[in-house]
Amino acid sequence: MAPEQPSLWDQPPSEPEAEPPAPAPRATPRILRVTDLNRRVRSLLDADAVLADVWVEGEVSQPSFPPSGHCFFTLKDANSQVRCALFREELGRVAVPPAHGMNVIVHGRVRAYEAQGVYQLYVESLTPAGAGDLHARYEALRAQLTAAGLFDDGRKRPIPRWPRRIGVVTSPVGAVWRDITNVLRRRYPLVELVLSPTAVQGVTAAPAIERALRRLYAQEDLDTIILARGGGSLEDLWPFNEERVVRTVAEAPVPIVVGVGHESDVTLADFAADLRAPTPSAAAELATPDGTQLPAILGRLRDRSGSALLKLAADRRRFVDAERRALAGLAPDIGAARQRTAELVDRGGRVLADRLERRRLVLAATADALRTLSPTATLERGYAVARAPDGRILRDASETAAGEPLQVILSRGTVETRVERTRAGGTEELLR
Amino acid sequence: MTDRPITDLSDDELAQRPFDELVVALQQVVQRLEAGSAGLEESIELYKQGLRLHGACEARLREAELQITELGRRGVVGAEPEPAEG
Repeated sequence: MAPEQPSLWDQPPSEPEAEPPAPAPRATPRILRVTDLNRRVRSLLDADAVLADVWVEGEVSQPSFPPSGHCFFTLKDANSQVRCALFREELGRVAVPPAHGMNVIVHGRVRAYEAQGVYQLYVESLTPAGAGDLHARYEALRAQLTAAGLFDDGRKRPIPRWPRRIGVVTSPVGAVWRDITNVLRRRYPLVELVLSPTAVQGVTAAPAIERALRRLYAQEDLDTIILARGGGSLEDLWPFNEERVVRTVAEAPVPIVVGVGHESDVTLADFAADLRAPTPSAAAELATPDGTQLPAILGRLRDRSGSALLKLAADRRRFVDAERRALAGLAPDIGAARQRTAELVDRGGRVLADRLERRRLVLAATADALRTLSPTATLERGYAVARAPDGRILRDASETAAGEPLQVILSRGTVETRVERTRAGGTEELLR
Repeated sequence: MTDRPITDLSDDELAQRPFDELVVALQQVVQRLEAGSAGLEESIELYKQGLRLHGACEARLREAELQITELGRRGVVGAEPEPAEG
């Protein structure tokens, strides 16, 4: 950092430092350069076996995370404080990033930082001092985010039943990604996976997870997102309890399934998810239909369409049968109608016959009357018809003369004769 | 893509449609058949369509292979790979 201090011999010392040490009574004092001094202190500290391997408990104060990726903070207790440095590599392995007020146990070595003339604790590992502290943070954040409505049931969206593209945020190395792909190859290989790789452990994990999620959020056509991580301690899973991760999960534009750790591990990210899966494999299962059942399901659909068609055909046949029966049911009516018709015809016939009979009787009477008028009936009663040879019927004797042939027609037979003589009268003789 | 009804598509076109669309179309065919409101000729046509969709679904299931894309590996803008630990 600071440029190396120029040697005292290289330039005239500034006022205060130029003040020569008080003259020693014994010998000429040995004057050190600052660099030399610091180097000496450093070698002293480095030589101390205890300081090279210390465990220290204290409270984190004012942690800073400069762009270098390192972390600097002060560790203190009621009476003292010491500066601590947590370099990027070690920070990456720390489960829970140091936060102000957090009680931690750090492990590392004490060395001097020559450039600034300070000694520091170079932290190699940092763990929260006792689970109680983490649990307290977990509960506090949980209460805060619950109050903010992030975990409301009303926010939960249904997981698409037939996803085409699923985004996955997890580590691309290790068992979890392998498990997820294995499950989906076996279960629903029709889906396309979009992996957004991330670290899932260590203090850098939380921002990495957030970035990985946001990369997926920028994707189009994703149906579902899976956020997954294998099992671990509360500290290991801590990134999934970080507020930035939990809030990012809650912002997912499509339904998100979170499967972190084992069944018993419930992170705040789980609460913010649309669906919580007990494990990463379970997340893959919950996000997809069971393809192994699909052939059977499809087969049933095909069978149902076949059955429906057969049923329809049977229905149609029953319908036709019913129609036929209905028609058959109409037949007696036709018979009755026919009978009625026949009766009408009969009655009509009878009426007609009666009329005919009456007519016949009238006719017979008329015929009788006629018969009485006919010449044959008159002849029958003993009258005769006299006709001249030219066919004239004689009504007056003067119409003929003696010697004239005369035809006398009797009731039976005809007499051909000749007139003897004629005279008037004679009719009265019939009445005598 | 096309807006034509799925039942109008050729077998090749059918093979390009998303699997779930085929399943939904098959379900609709079954429902229409089971409703019994279609005439006999139409029902026979529906049944044929159902068989075709079923065949397309089965073929897809047989041939399906899990596709995986990894963000940040193939020039996806703004997506550098993250250090990863299991």
